[in-house]
Amino acid sequence: MSASVLVPTVVSPIVVSLYVPAIFTGLIVGLIGLMAIAYQKDDLNALILTDIVGMGMLILVAAVGTDLAEALILPGLVVELAEILAISEILMSREMRKKGETAELIPLPTSMDMEVMTTAPTFLAIILIVYGAFLSGFTGGAVAGGGILFYIISRRMRGVPSDTWEGIAGVSGIAWCLWLVGFLVFFVFPQYWLLALFLAAFGVFIKVAFKAGLIGVIGREEFNKK
Amino acid sequence: MDIIILGQQLMGYIPLGDIVLYLAPVNLFMFASALAFTTLIAISRTETQVEAGVGTLKDQEVKVDKDEFKIRRFLAIVCGLATAGAMITGDLFNFTLFVCLIGIVNIGIVAAVKQIDVLDAAFQYGLVAMIAILPLFGGAAMILASTGTISLLEIAHIPTTFMMIFGSLLLFLGVAGETGVAPFYATKAEMFRTPGSPFLLIIHLSSLLVIIRVIEILLIINKPF
Amino acid sequence: MSRIGRFWNSLATPKKIPRFYSVILGVLLLVGFIMPLALNDQQLYPRPTPQLQIDENDPLAPYDRGGVPLKEPGIVKSQYPQFSEKSGMVTSYLSPIAIGVSNTTIYYGTSIYSSPGGLIDEILYYSRGFDTILESTILMMAFVVATWVALHFTMKRREEE
Repeated sequence: MSASVLVPTVVSPIVVSLYVPAIFTGLIVGLIGLMAIAYQKDDLNALILTDIVGMGMLILVAAVGTDLAEALILPGLVVELAEILAISEILMSREMRKKGETAELIPLPTSMDMEVMTTAPTFLAIILIVYGAFLSGFTGGAVAGGGILFYIISRRMRGVPSDTWEGIAGVSGIAWCLWLVGFLVFFVFPQYWLLALFLAAFGVFIKVAFKAGLIGVIGREEFNKK
Repeated sequence: MDIIILGQQLMGYIPLGDIVLYLAPVNLFMFASALAFTTLIAISRTETQVEAGVGTLKDQEVKVDKDEFKIRRFLAIVCGLATAGAMITGDLFNFTLFVCLIGIVNIGIVAAVKQIDVLDAAFQYGLVAMIAILPLFGGAAMILASTGTISLLEIAHIPTTFMMIFGSLLLFLGVAGETGVAPFYATKAEMFRTPGSPFLLIIHLSSLLVIIRVIEILLIINKPF
Repeated sequence: MSRIGRFWNSLATPKKIPRFYSVILGVLLLVGFIMPLALNDQQLYPRPTPQLQIDENDPLAPYDRGGVPLKEPGIVKSQYPQFSEKSGMVTSYLSPIAIGVSNTTIYYGTSIYSSPGGLIDEILYYSRGFDTILESTILMMAFVVATWVALHFTMKRREEE
């Protein structure tokens, strides 16, 4: 296959011609979100509406249409999710202090008394974790994390030793260090790039999986208190 | 590479793939002062506020307990390191990520308090920080689109276009929101009304240094002289 | 005069700040509609014309950037090729499982970046790896803040009662 099919020297004219419509879409999405934030009075609504503003940002980045832009979307998306996670927790803490009431950490609309929650969690969790390990990286981490989350939530009545949380958090931190080592190997010992790639890919995998799992552990501890 | 940035001869650079950290004298000085301040914070203890009771002689001490102290010190150190990193990074997108890290750690430093007013201010600051992601990353993406690069060392040679000016305006507004400078200071000023002084000061220092750095970046992009 | 005073006062109320900020940002975004916007076609990491590789029935489409796993580097148009010595090797790498899957189907490219190796991994872990490290630090800090607040307030409260 010729090199021009693999990687062209300039961005293709189709992408260039789509740039202005894409930017306008992004600006309009951003404006809609900002207008809504400026009009509304409720704090929770404002928090949810910032997500729309974030969508506008993603469109602005994606409009560039190169592989670089595709790689830059990921940090943008993660930063947005991370901030919404931390800020919503602060909002909850503030409301609880103001009103003096407590709330569920993970409010569930129903009692979740389903057949699948008692019979299949181990099987489903193992399948998801194995598949996630095959995928590796962020995608795999999300899949495997979903598996752990599901397992822990469905097993919430059994109870797991209370120091599990610290253990999982520790493993997640170690995985992050693995990744840092992998990153350094890329530059200090470039000949071991394959090792570095695997350190990075599985460091991310373990880290993201356990991050999702932590949500489940916190949720379970909350349930056990009843 | 023999490059002069804003009239300064580079003293060196740290290449990390496409992201090159460059060491110009001014940046290096700000980097060192951020690190020095972070070290000071890491070894210091928190203040204790005293609330005077009206009409009585009973004063109430507002202290920071051990757990809170630990998490705050940790977050303050991360904030100092992020500030130091933002001083020397030579990549636009890398810089925006450093600013986002500073923003979220700032929220975290005050998230541990019990005063409702402070929590409310932290929440409102968080909202602004989240909205500010749009101009931050959007501005960086526009500069990428119009120049084809996000390395500041390359952008320094590219003649300025209207789109770059617009992108850098967006970037500046994003940094202004994320660091809470005037006229968006109210949320940040409110956040200081809580005990734990040395850790709170890093919030101040980080926004000061980041603003200086973003002005340098705007000069590099727009080349007014 | 009193209206200006009221305006300054409202700036000092934290609750008004997000709305004030979004109004200013909205005005700036409106300026974007009258700006001369155009995409510079000299970009880093360009990608082929949409659908081009798919029409050629390439199993790795649209992420095929050439190269042979472990032997030849793929084509990578990075900013500073001199700073990444083994540039392109990650791009061309495919794990044994990935090679097996790509031999059976022509749609493997749609999930290429969910296995180690490939172009996106090259950018995310190697040439712009520092960005991804920062990004995961942001995620970690958000988790630290959220779980700390949850463990100490949202949950301890219930014990106190």
